[in-house]
Amino acid sequence: MFFLGSGIPADLLGGSLYIYQRYAPLFWAGARTTLLISLSATVIGLIIGLFVASIRNIRFTPKDSLISKITKRLLWVLATIYIEVFRGTPMMVQAVFMYHGLRQYLMWTPIQAGIFIVSVNTGAYMAEIIRAGIQSIDDGQYEAARSIGMNNRQSMIKIILPQAIRNAFPAIGNEFVVNIKDTSVLNVISVTELFFQSNSVAGIVFRYRDTFLVTALIYLILTFTTTQILRYIERKLDSPKGVGGASQSMPGNFPFLKRKELKA
Amino acid sequence: MSLIEIKNLNKSFGSNLVLKDINLTIEEKQVVCLIGSSGSGKSTLLRCLNLLETPDGGEIIVDGQNIMTSNFDINTYRSHVGMIFQSFNLFSHMNTLQNCMIGQTEVLKRSKAEAKSISLKYLEKVGMLDFAYQSVKSLSGGQKQRVAIARALCMEPRILLLDEPTSALDPEMVGEVLEVIKQLAIEGLTMLIVTHEMSFAKDVADVVIFMDQGVVCEQGSPTAMFTDPKNLRTKEFLARVLR
Repeated sequence: MFFLGSGIPADLLGGSLYIYQRYAPLFWAGARTTLLISLSATVIGLIIGLFVASIRNIRFTPKDSLISKITKRLLWVLATIYIEVFRGTPMMVQAVFMYHGLRQYLMWTPIQAGIFIVSVNTGAYMAEIIRAGIQSIDDGQYEAARSIGMNNRQSMIKIILPQAIRNAFPAIGNEFVVNIKDTSVLNVISVTELFFQSNSVAGIVFRYRDTFLVTALIYLILTFTTTQILRYIERKLDSPKGVGGASQSMPGNFPFLKRKELKA
Repeated sequence: MSLIEIKNLNKSFGSNLVLKDINLTIEEKQVVCLIGSSGSGKSTLLRCLNLLETPDGGEIIVDGQNIMTSNFDINTYRSHVGMIFQSFNLFSHMNTLQNCMIGQTEVLKRSKAEAKSISLKYLEKVGMLDFAYQSVKSLSGGQKQRVAIARALCMEPRILLLDEPTSALDPEMVGEVLEVIKQLAIEGLTMLIVTHEMSFAKDVADVVIFMDQGVVCEQGSPTAMFTDPKNLRTKEFLARVLR
């Protein structure tokens, strides 16, 4: 094998450096796919999670007709089955099963399948994260919304979910970080993400140890950067002026807001 | 015709009977104070009136309509009946102005500009105009409750229900909130107030209702109620709280 490994230094660091310099474009192409899949799947998963958590949070009222009671119950059961199945089976198994099972109908590429699989998997976890976020909101918020005449949907969208998402933000961000790492299982369906690319490189140079040190470091860079960005956003959300909306201006800037003595 | 008629109202939580055959009539522009010890069913009665609690039986007729029929439009009804909570329940992700606007834009479908000018009008009325653009988290308890009152007034309700509006406040903040409520009473807003502030009730109420163990024991004018209570349990209760 001397003709293959001949130019590569024998030690770990030297070997890694050599492999990185020679195959950097392959690694970074993999990293780009990894980020593409994990970012889009986290966003789609969040949307699925919001939807499923809202379904699981629909309240029964004594005034409901039999049909609406059955419908609500059925939706609840379906949402629960979805969550239990996708949280209770390995993503690698889901990937192989769905990619091959649906390929003949959808004609999808491995990357499309990858985004789909990670999305539905993340959606199941997000549903639970959002549910916990909803439960962290005081019941009084919901009651106040209903008491001014808002219906269940308006109360959820305008009052409960904005606060629930904010409370759940650290956990939502954590899902993104987890996804960056867990997309590595998609190599089983030949998605050319970072792990798959590394495996190819290692196969070429026949130095698994050195190649996967490079891989580990790239994953670490991705997750560390992401974590820092998420922390920064979190701090922004927590700052008192972080509330978006009508106006951020101070009262003094408004000519009609004159200070005056009030009777009441 | 009375504005609100309550007939044989019953409500229980599990096996615990909280309201037993309540019968009441409330006239337009009346201020009614509900007094009684905790657990007597005052708050539950109030919450039944805007259907935050669903009664088990009886009738509640508001402005000639039975609000407990199955096809009754609860959301529209609630937009006409303001509710003030003990713990304020301001929307904590919004500023003061947004709290006042959201119901108008979402439920009454008013334009943003209209909702804003109406909100500012009522915030001025409760003395909170200077705080319009502040996050509600930064307000004191008394200020929060005044904003909550403004939020309810923005919907221009026929009836205002107040569930112990000053019970969660520091003593020095009670006055500012009671002043606002008193002003509304003078202006002729129909109000039902659950309160432990006896002197306030004496001051502001047209009718005082004493409840005990889910029953209306006695009702009458504040003068009659506080100087010459007829019912034994009313006497005991007032002796304890007035001292």
